[in-house]
Amino acid sequence: MEFSSVQNLSLHLISSAFQRCRLSEQICRLSVILARSSSSSLRVSISDTGNGSCLEEFQGLRFSSNDDADNWDGMLSIKTTSISDTEIHNYTINLKASDSSKITRLTSNTKNGARFSGSEVCLSSFVSIDLLVAEIHQFLEKMMILSIPNVATHLVAEDCDVPGSRYEKVFLANGDKELPIPASNLDLLKSGLEDYVLRHGNTLSNKCHYCFPNWEQLKVGSGVACSIENHQHNELVMEAVIIISNMPVDNTECFRKYGDKTEVFYFKDFSPGTVSKSLMKALKGIDWKSYGLKLGGIVQQDRLALLEWENLTRDTHVDIVLHSYNKQTVIPGPRKITQTERNLVKRAVKLSLDDLKEKHAGVLLSSHAVQVRSYAPDLAKTIAGLILSSSDLNFQEECFSLLGLQSQVVGTENMENCIRERIVSVIEMNDKKPHKNKVAPSLFVDDRAQELEFEENDMEEGEDDLDLQLF
Amino acid sequence: MEGKWMSSQSQSTNFHLLAKIKEFTRSIVTDLSNGQSPVILIHRFRNHCTSPNSNCFCGFNLPCGKDVLTLCRESHVHRIDVMLRVLLIVQKLLQENRHCSKRDIYYMHPSVFSDQSVVDHAINDICVLMQCSRHNLNVVSAGKGYSMRLYSILEKAICFMGWIRFFEGKRLFDCISSPNKVHPIPVHVEEVKDIISVAHYILVVEKESVFERLANDQFCSANHCIVITGRGYPDIPTRRFLRLLVEDLHLPAYCLVDCDPYGFDILTTYRFGSMQMAYDTKHLRVPEIQWLGAYPSDAERYFIPKQCLLSLTAEDKRKLEAMLLRCYLQRDVPQWRLELKMMLEKGVKFEIEALSVHALSFLSMSYLPSKIQGKMII
Repeated sequence: MEFSSVQNLSLHLISSAFQRCRLSEQICRLSVILARSSSSSLRVSISDTGNGSCLEEFQGLRFSSNDDADNWDGMLSIKTTSISDTEIHNYTINLKASDSSKITRLTSNTKNGARFSGSEVCLSSFVSIDLLVAEIHQFLEKMMILSIPNVATHLVAEDCDVPGSRYEKVFLANGDKELPIPASNLDLLKSGLEDYVLRHGNTLSNKCHYCFPNWEQLKVGSGVACSIENHQHNELVMEAVIIISNMPVDNTECFRKYGDKTEVFYFKDFSPGTVSKSLMKALKGIDWKSYGLKLGGIVQQDRLALLEWENLTRDTHVDIVLHSYNKQTVIPGPRKITQTERNLVKRAVKLSLDDLKEKHAGVLLSSHAVQVRSYAPDLAKTIAGLILSSSDLNFQEECFSLLGLQSQVVGTENMENCIRERIVSVIEMNDKKPHKNKVAPSLFVDDRAQELEFEENDMEEGEDDLDLQLF
Repeated sequence: MEGKWMSSQSQSTNFHLLAKIKEFTRSIVTDLSNGQSPVILIHRFRNHCTSPNSNCFCGFNLPCGKDVLTLCRESHVHRIDVMLRVLLIVQKLLQENRHCSKRDIYYMHPSVFSDQSVVDHAINDICVLMQCSRHNLNVVSAGKGYSMRLYSILEKAICFMGWIRFFEGKRLFDCISSPNKVHPIPVHVEEVKDIISVAHYILVVEKESVFERLANDQFCSANHCIVITGRGYPDIPTRRFLRLLVEDLHLPAYCLVDCDPYGFDILTTYRFGSMQMAYDTKHLRVPEIQWLGAYPSDAERYFIPKQCLLSLTAEDKRKLEAMLLRCYLQRDVPQWRLELKMMLEKGVKFEIEALSVHALSFLSMSYLPSKIQGKMII
């Protein structure tokens, strides 16, 4: 892997530390300490109490930069130990070396019989502390979406020349939530995105009570799509979570960085990934229309995909997170997005949209269901008219009782409302079904009848190119 | 829209229909209460097909398929909405024993109905569902009484004259005393009774101009017949009236139309019914009607000069070719089909009035009598 900036390298090192912590399955601490000394070089130290790292992790790293502003000598110093090791290993690696990164083994330190594991990776450079803190901060906020439960992250930044400049923050996933034990990755992802939305991008320490006075305002759907890549004996998993939130329109206090656009977060193997063109294509190819959403455009910005909608009301926001990972690898390696992954994205997002629809009646209605629903008041009025204008009182009583209305209190408006609600409920229920009931083929069908149309399949709704249900 | 006395038969029909409407409403309410969309099945009918092998069942008045309407499809919901609105109006008409016209219904919700044809389709749907004819719903095509005399652009005053006398309800139509006097066709055909006639045949003419020519020529004085004009494509009352006369009086019926595709189409409408009213064909068609003229072969037979023959337009030819494919032609009226083919091959058409080139009264004095007496009718 090649890096061209100290920032990107730092983020990668933090991500690796995260993986080591996650895989250890123990409660771990991850510390990122940025300290500018009086010589004005910035010391970046990333330490964790996860599994010990191995040399292979670092051997593949390269650094090349034409920009000397970083003024980094390319040296990383590494201390690491596994739980079973008796010593702490010390290395330095020169990532700027032209041959394979020059690894220098230094003297190990004994552990004196203590059992612990962890790593510390340090580098010194002249990169700006403020910029680096901001980037790491943003990175850690995003990592919170994954809600890796056993990792507490501590970020410290201090400029020794400036007294009182110490900045500290602890990032802890699921601080006040109760999650099922054991919580699946998908549960954690859901919880993480909910927190992210409620805390306005994790900028607040608690949920915003102004925007979200009730929990019910968040509508969450999730889906998982998997595929077996036989030649690698790996299972590629794609998880998707979608959240629809309604926030008061008149709120000027709370700020959403991208306004009405939907931020699509993409994680690859438990680390923030960059949204590629292939992924953008997959997102574009989703049949949003059948969920009543009209996609205006999709842009890539700040390593995110931003979706612009043409028909969302001002108070509605949509947030999406995607996470793809391999189930069997221990340390994930780089992987290109393949055709399979593109289809997995589409399937996972579709499943999450279906899940949301299933749980929340009337949400994400397809545009044609919205159109059908607009007839409900008129239909209800006419049907109520047919009942109430009938001269047969027994018939009226029968209809009242079928609708669950008490005849004494039935007025025209009550009757119309009752029927309208039933019609709307039927329309919303029918819109949820993933496959419309196909009409059974007739035995005696005259293909030549052209005069009146007979719609057998939904041609008005968009067709999913991979309409498979794995589960 | 005044109320009136009902015969016991129409009372029982009303009651029967009201029961069906209630049953229909009840089934919708039951489905909705169970959280299901109502499923409305409407049979499709046609009076002909265009398949090359004539192995079809078009002549048997059987449905040829079903439309399945639910609340799940956008295209269905509009149709259901319109149909229910019309049904509500019909229920009120039947309960109060009133009548109204299709046009009246249109004006009750013009923004929803948007066009008269939408109302017509809804009425057809209801007739198919309730298995009845349009007049059973107390819906007529034109208003009653004096409004019949007001020729609106949409309504037609259909006329007849001849040797016949009958009652429409309590109103007497006595044409025998003056057989050349023109009368409007009764709208409530079901109330026509006590028909007395000394006519020998019924003549159905396509155009009002021809009807007026016959009236001017005092055709009915010299010929004991009844003459009806539908003024183009016949409407429901005309077809029902004609059918009633043929059934009641057992008289032959002869059709006189222009020798062109539209004239022929009008002829087949009388004989085989129309596609739009295909569900009610058995009550509307007159299978006994015969084609008196004008045939393409009449052009030679009656020495019509070339300047009276008009060329068929491209649209005429398309229509002819489409009509030639109709299954009932080959099966039931092969001679008609031969004449039609001749029309296409010759590439010319002519109007009845072309017969007047020899003499103004050629039609009344020569053409019609010679055709009828010489039995030159197919």
